[in-house]
Amino acid sequence: MAELLAAVDDSFFTDRTGGGCIQENKLFCPGWVADNYDRYVDPTLQHLVLVGSAVVAGFLIAFALGVFAHRHRFLQTPFLAGTGILYTIPSISFFFLLLPITGRGALTAIIALTAFNLQIIFRNMTNGLRNVPQNVTEAATGIGMTKSQVLWQVELPLAMPEIIAGLRIATVSTVALATLAVFANGGGLGTEIVSGSNITFKTGIIVAGSIAVIMAIVFDGMLLLAGKLLAPWKRVAQ
Amino acid sequence: MTAESVSASTVRFESVTKRYSGAESVAVEDLSFEVPAGEICVLVGPSGCGKTTALRMVNRTVEMTSGDILIGGNSVKEGDPARLRREIGYVIQQIGLFPHRTISQNIGTVPNLLGWDKERVAKRSAELLELIGLDPEYGDRYPTQLSGGQQQRVGVARALAVDPPVMLMDEPFGAIDPINRSRLQNEFLRLQAELRKTVLFVTHDVDEAIKMGDKVAVLKKGGQLAQFATPTELLMEPADDFVEDFVGSDRALKRLALMRVRDVNLWTAPLAQAGDPAEPVRTAVAAAEVPHALLVDGENRPQGWLSERDLAGERVPSTPDSLTEPLIEADSILRDGLAALLQSGSLYAAVVDHRGRLTGVLSVEIVSDFLASDKAAESELTAVERPHG
Repeated sequence: MAELLAAVDDSFFTDRTGGGCIQENKLFCPGWVADNYDRYVDPTLQHLVLVGSAVVAGFLIAFALGVFAHRHRFLQTPFLAGTGILYTIPSISFFFLLLPITGRGALTAIIALTAFNLQIIFRNMTNGLRNVPQNVTEAATGIGMTKSQVLWQVELPLAMPEIIAGLRIATVSTVALATLAVFANGGGLGTEIVSGSNITFKTGIIVAGSIAVIMAIVFDGMLLLAGKLLAPWKRVAQ
Repeated sequence: MTAESVSASTVRFESVTKRYSGAESVAVEDLSFEVPAGEICVLVGPSGCGKTTALRMVNRTVEMTSGDILIGGNSVKEGDPARLRREIGYVIQQIGLFPHRTISQNIGTVPNLLGWDKERVAKRSAELLELIGLDPEYGDRYPTQLSGGQQQRVGVARALAVDPPVMLMDEPFGAIDPINRSRLQNEFLRLQAELRKTVLFVTHDVDEAIKMGDKVAVLKKGGQLAQFATPTELLMEPADDFVEDFVGSDRALKRLALMRVRDVNLWTAPLAQAGDPAEPVRTAVAAAEVPHALLVDGENRPQGWLSERDLAGERVPSTPDSLTEPLIEADSILRDGLAALLQSGSLYAAVVDHRGRLTGVLSVEIVSDFLASDKAAESELTAVERPHG
């Protein structure tokens, strides 16, 4: 037992010196990670801010657009086309387009990521609202709900599972895309992936990537749970 | 809720016309009639006759082009449509329950819109669940957990929630299978006998119109009123060829829809309970109107017909050879009773009240005697004065 412990300690100290494993750029050097985990704290927090801001802003804007387009159906197609263009522009190009206006920094990254999100959330929301059975809205109107009561009490609650489905896709995609924020000097986990001096440092890439993956999974799980809690009628046996 | 405390309003159509923009012909043309307070008026006609449009103009889910509709003397055109609709019960064929709300919440929708406090809403929901015969535990379920028939009952309860003086029902039982439809119709008539609402009821089914209506408004294409009459008048004196055609060539048979099974003189069968001595039952059977004995339980609910073999022993057995099928509800119309008899190929059927207790025996002979008797038409006329409670 004591021997075993000694062996572990030995290898730990070898890697801790940054020796063999780092020099050979092995796939994963646990010792280095143990020694350097604190360097990931700030990028992770920045990443959370990037994703959080972009998803919340994207949701608020897309939601407003969705409600507006629901009242004025003729706006749906232009809104869909507009958000579609924003969705298609590669984020990196978007950063450079924004540089003259917002400069280098997190704001530029957040704007680009928000623009990317709009389409996903808007499309899901319009689909969700469209899928509300007509007989339900007809009954709601017929028993005396006003237009906005029908929207807030009937249509949006029924569309919510689809809106949340959109949010999940948007969030997971944004977690991944936000690693590019580094190109706009926006911080985030990308800084640890593209750490200028050593872009091929495998351990660093794996750690930063893993944090992003875990972040995506946690966000996704939280939204999934929120969706289930908010839509108890979906859980009952049919 | 007693009949005295309930208010109903007359509904009066005054030259109501609806022309949809862009449409060449009118949907409803110069429609005038009056539904007295507390009566069911059925709007019936072929598809495209404007019956649903006419109905929807009452709660302004469709706005009329000209004319007016008065509820208790007040024009529906005055005031806010949403407020108007909260005072009019509304039931549609597709039911339209809110899938995301529990049954209690669904029933409480309009009370909530009117700002009732929580306690009062909950109390009213419970009351209505009982009224439509659903267990209180259903209150916490979601609509998808209920059968179609139960959902439609909840739809009716939701429409009744604030005790509106007027109810609009747009083919409410149209999507329900025939057996349950007939049951729901009977239930609704029983409710109506108690509640005495003014009901406008749309259907394309003339049999349903005759069964449900105190008054029937027959509409033809283009939304013209072809006849406004009681069901009996409609069958006896159709106003024109269209109505005669629409009512159908089997008018005599349709008259069976005007009578309830409980309204004819039912026969009586000898009764026996399990364990009774068989001898007196055998004697009774030999002398009885119905030459078979019925096995009943302690609460007079039929358990089956006793065959000669069943009665051959000393005691009446607890499991008879043949079941009581068909069982006919006393509230059923005579036509459905006859249909049940013919379908099962039996000569007799036990008739039960809504608690399942025996009230008599219906035979094919009773029905044919009824049709053949000169008094048939006459008694129909009096029977049509629906027993309202």
